[in-house]
Amino acid sequence: MIEPLRRAFAAVAIAATMFMAASAATLVSGATSARADESADARAFIQTLADKALVLVNSKTISDTDRTQGFKTLFVASFDIPDIGRFVLGRHWKTATAQQQAEFLKSFEDYTVLTWSTRFKDYSGVQFQIEGASPVEDGFVLVDSKILRSQGDPLEVGWRAHKVDGAWRITDILIENVSMALTQRQDFAASIQSSGGTVESLLDTMHKKIDELRANIHS
Amino acid sequence: MVAATALLVGCATPPPASDPDAVAEYKQTNDPLEPMNRAIFSFNNEADSLFLRPIAQAYRAAVPQFGRDRIADFLDNLDAPLVFANDVLQGNAGLAGKTLERFALNSSFGVFGIMDVAKPMGIPPHDSDFGQTLGVWGIDSGPYLVLPLFGPSNIRDGIGLAAETYGDPLGIYLTNEHMKWLIWTRFGVEAVSQREAYLDFLDDLQRTSLDYYATLRSLYRQRRDGMIDAGKHGVESIPSAGRANADTSH
Repeated sequence: MIEPLRRAFAAVAIAATMFMAASAATLVSGATSARADESADARAFIQTLADKALVLVNSKTISDTDRTQGFKTLFVASFDIPDIGRFVLGRHWKTATAQQQAEFLKSFEDYTVLTWSTRFKDYSGVQFQIEGASPVEDGFVLVDSKILRSQGDPLEVGWRAHKVDGAWRITDILIENVSMALTQRQDFAASIQSSGGTVESLLDTMHKKIDELRANIHS
Repeated sequence: MVAATALLVGCATPPPASDPDAVAEYKQTNDPLEPMNRAIFSFNNEADSLFLRPIAQAYRAAVPQFGRDRIADFLDNLDAPLVFANDVLQGNAGLAGKTLERFALNSSFGVFGIMDVAKPMGIPPHDSDFGQTLGVWGIDSGPYLVLPLFGPSNIRDGIGLAAETYGDPLGIYLTNEHMKWLIWTRFGVEAVSQREAYLDFLDDLQRTSLDYYATLRSLYRQRRDGMIDAGKHGVESIPSAGRANADTSH
């Protein structure tokens, strides 16, 4: 009973300065304990990436074309595209020819860059804060972060990364515990099924989508 | 002919047993009623673009963010009795205590709930519902289901929703007091308030996904699995290990 009383008492004090407290409290970052070097390393990688992305998101002077190009450079340098592409294509990866695989990865890259750069257009003014990093199974590290928006509750975003040839690469983004890679895999699988069941039909659908998104970004 | 029959009875055609990968995918998708679900989904989208979405847009244009937040906080506070009941049913005493504290603080200092004063004090809101409770009890989701007007669900969550509609303490009280119109008012305002909150998110999904229906199905399932997992551990949310784990869970 003491604890609720104490909180209720604190409420009286807080009520007066509610607006100040509201903004201050959400900005207090969670404490993080000491982690393995690997985790600290991954954390630094994500922080650097976020800093670079936020410059692009928040810049008022940059053109949409340059912003998209900037995202593309960041994306290619920070994501394990072959790994994600293979996962997203799922069982159809095996049946695809080497040429289709290559074409898929290329289209997947274009598609993802366009998706995220249109998404990030509405994200100016956000703040990024890392909550912690911990190793998950076999060489993967999960970096937990919060994205603070000017409106609404903070967004919990997890970054799953591993090292490829000595450099960190992201393999999945988890938004509020929802895996983007898994969502895409199921989206793509359904699209393949409804458009004729072949990788070729998926590539067609992707190309149309890419054109649509490109038209959208320049409008 | 087979496809036509399947559409008629609302059932998807399972892949042949000779293609084990396709069978595995079919099982994981767990949507044997897909043709029927897709039909309801397009009906919902029609209705949404004709009514709910324009109303939500008008609401956004007419009421400033501060006002919309007050309405959302007020509605959330009305849900507290249900959230509390489900916290208890899930055996989460800690969360139930938080819900009770939030309700007490927000209903008093928060002026009938219009101000979520508990959140800045370090007691953030969390969701608990009866579908989640059934999941915490170990009841399987059953096939994916798109409910008319309510949207993505499954057999278990659909039953949960029905049970909550009849079992909501506030609803029972209002019915007894012959104020049923208030139930409908609350329902309507809640629909508009929530639709407004999801305007940008759903527009974005519809624009970027290859198959909007399948994308929402995937998101809904992952979100619910995450909530049930959190409920089992008695916490608001637990960090998911991501793809690898998500991949092996049904």
